Amino acid sequence: MSDKSKGLSKVQEIYRNRSQRAKELKAAGKKIIGYPCVYVPLEMLTALGLVPYRTYGDIREAVTEADRALPTSFCPIMRTCLDCDLKGKNDFLDGMVTVHSCDPQEKTARVWESYTDYPYFHFIDMPSTVRPEAIEYFKSQLNDFRKTLETFTGQKLSADKLKSAIKAHNQQRALVQQLYELTKPVPPLISGIELVQVVKALMSLPVAEGNDLLTQVIGEAKNHTDVPKKKPARLLIWSSSLDDTDIMQIFETKANVVMDETCGGIRAYRGSVKLTTDPLDGLADYYMKEITCARTFRQATLGETKKDYAKDIQSRFGYLKGIVKEWKINGAILLLVRYCDPFAFEMPSLKDYLDSIGIPSTYIEYDYTIGALAPLRTRVEAFLETIR
Amino acid sequence: MVTEEKKKVINRLKSMYPLRAKVNETYLKSAEAIKAGKPAVWAMLNFYYGDPILKAMDVEVVYPENYGAVAAAMGVAQRYLEQADADGFPTHLCGYSLTSLGYTSRMMKEFKGEVPPEAPFGGMPKPLFLLSSSAICDARYKWFQALGRYMDVPVWPLESPSPGVKEFFIEGSFQRMVDLGVKHLRDFVVFVERMLGRKMDWAKLDETVDLMIEVNRVWHEVNELRKAKPCPMHSRDFWSAMPAALFLAGDLKDSLQCFKDMYVEIKDRVNNHIGAISEEKYRLVFAELPPWHSLGFFDKLAERGWDFVVESFGYRPPIPIDLSQVKDPLERITRFSLQFFAGYYEDARQQNVLGGSFAYPYLKYAREWRCDGAMLHPLISCRSASTHLPYVSNMLMKKLKVPSLSIEGDIVDLRLFNPEDALAKAEPFEETMEHYRRVRKQEGFDW
Repeated sequence: MSDKSKGLSKVQEIYRNRSQRAKELKAAGKKIIGYPCVYVPLEMLTALGLVPYRTYGDIREAVTEADRALPTSFCPIMRTCLDCDLKGKNDFLDGMVTVHSCDPQEKTARVWESYTDYPYFHFIDMPSTVRPEAIEYFKSQLNDFRKTLETFTGQKLSADKLKSAIKAHNQQRALVQQLYELTKPVPPLISGIELVQVVKALMSLPVAEGNDLLTQVIGEAKNHTDVPKKKPARLLIWSSSLDDTDIMQIFETKANVVMDETCGGIRAYRGSVKLTTDPLDGLADYYMKEITCARTFRQATLGETKKDYAKDIQSRFGYLKGIVKEWKINGAILLLVRYCDPFAFEMPSLKDYLDSIGIPSTYIEYDYTIGALAPLRTRVEAFLETIR
Repeated sequence: MVTEEKKKVINRLKSMYPLRAKVNETYLKSAEAIKAGKPAVWAMLNFYYGDPILKAMDVEVVYPENYGAVAAAMGVAQRYLEQADADGFPTHLCGYSLTSLGYTSRMMKEFKGEVPPEAPFGGMPKPLFLLSSSAICDARYKWFQALGRYMDVPVWPLESPSPGVKEFFIEGSFQRMVDLGVKHLRDFVVFVERMLGRKMDWAKLDETVDLMIEVNRVWHEVNELRKAKPCPMHSRDFWSAMPAALFLAGDLKDSLQCFKDMYVEIKDRVNNHIGAISEEKYRLVFAELPPWHSLGFFDKLAERGWDFVVESFGYRPPIPIDLSQVKDPLERITRFSLQFFAGYYEDARQQNVLGGSFAYPYLKYAREWRCDGAMLHPLISCRSASTHLPYVSNMLMKKLKVPSLSIEGDIVDLRLFNPEDALAKAEPFEETMEHYRRVRKQEGFDW
């Protein structure tokens, strides 16, 4: 690890054995709540002293148990998530919270609840649009979530407790944004692989511990000399999820990944939750509007009676323009996990947008298994040849 | 002579034909009206939520999902699938969506907005706006957004709540769904008024909603009669009649009369023990979309005594609900649409079946329609209609000792359905059904 920092060493340790801290906390009397998607408002768990723990799948693990519950031609991420759960890899969890962020999540949630017996299981319904009545409905869903959490913990979730948790999670968002600032220099001060490790570690820890770790990593990374080598391509990876270093390694062999737009990276940490009088208002607004997942239907103007394609794609992808400029990105890889409909429908339009701002891009599909990595490497290398 | 005998293997309802003729006539009339300048709207199947509003506003509605099936059956879908592929859409997307994306690409790029010449049934003319729906799957709202690449046509995305079984019963939850729905529809009406440049005829909407509810009530009663043994109506008649109730295709007053006539005919069959097939050996529930391109497959199974007596929840009418005291037609629409999805929830909760509206109804159907087996039809490009099927299969076996046969296929791609292979599985599955008949008897079930 040379001079790279104690912080990053700790991150790597957590990445390799990510349930260890959760198990320690469990042994100390804490309740650990799993969640498979970044749309679950972790602030509400934190406010009640619960420890959120993101449940991932494993690209190295053949799906066997989930075969009795889900079809094979189905979101491979949800299949492996459920598979790991059914194999007992999350058996230290006290509960699970799922959310209607996409159709596979929703359908899997119902199956998940039926095949497991967690003491606590809750499903949050989510609308598809950012219309005012949709956000109001989502807020009501969060209120229902609050009620079930209160019953489960026997505690009242007060506005003050929730605001305090929001502040802690906002701090984490701000720190992650600072972390990603470290990829702006040429060469970057931190690699894409390390970013994946850091985010995965954060999603395995209580928020306060994650913030301490981030502060340490950022402080040390700013000063270390063992930085990634400068490569010809500075890439943006756009995907539903990218949460494994073996996948990231494929891009970084011949490029610097300086930005990702995935829920294994910065997607859950852009922006911050507004501290509204009723904290659920701020949460509903943030989760519906600020997380830039393809699952949400966005329009240039709500209820528009005229449509202009250029304005439409600007409203959906326009935030990428500033990122491309600031991070000096010269290529984008649109990495599609097979059977992911929301992202698949987005591909041609996103490519149109990237073309319009002069960024070469390619669309590559894979099935989120270790076996898919070799062909993925071939396609990535072919693309990188074109942007040298 | 042999051919004639084969046609009679399924004893189709006489009353179905005039209803189906009216549905078909509607498609043609709609195409003519649009040609004459009437505005067209492309809509997703929206489960009674947007259709009555469009109907009351006298708009011609075209359903690209249906058109995908038509294009597949008429052999032109492949061309559109290839076009969508060339335009960069992944091939594993919903077959219906790829068909309309390819179709629209061709219409707008090659024919400058005119219907491509090969398009069957007059094609789908360029719409005034698009009505998407978030019910059931992501494709049904992302696909219309993606059409923006080809035509600058506004989209109205209809929201559709999908709570969990337990969560549905949290105090106040249902009312909040109603509130969302009513507010959402009120805004939708304003949007439609703006697009059409005229005001909603609220009296007409009131009447349309009442007719929609009544049509579906009678249609529900028709299907209840199918619990009789032998079953008086085969699934093929269900699928033929379904659009009149589910899409509100045709004149609702005509449809109501046709469904009433159907009820009379079926009641007569029940009274006289007349079955839909000559010798009903096995009663089956069919799960999810049928292979539209190969419906003759069911005739072959009927020859073996397989009677399909009940079908997928997603295409059946809601369990009837009295909404006569609800004055606001938008609230009646909302409650009716919610009833479609959540009508089974109370029962599901009591039985601790958490699979929700997609899975639980099969348990009720298999039990009440006394099924010997379930035929599951997982669809490679319609994952939303397939995800729950392994769960359904396990649930039916665990709770009712009813076995399932899974036959893979697709809604558009004919190559993915192999009727010969499926038929080869019929004989062994009959042995399985016989076995579980004995098991059910031993375990005290009454069929």
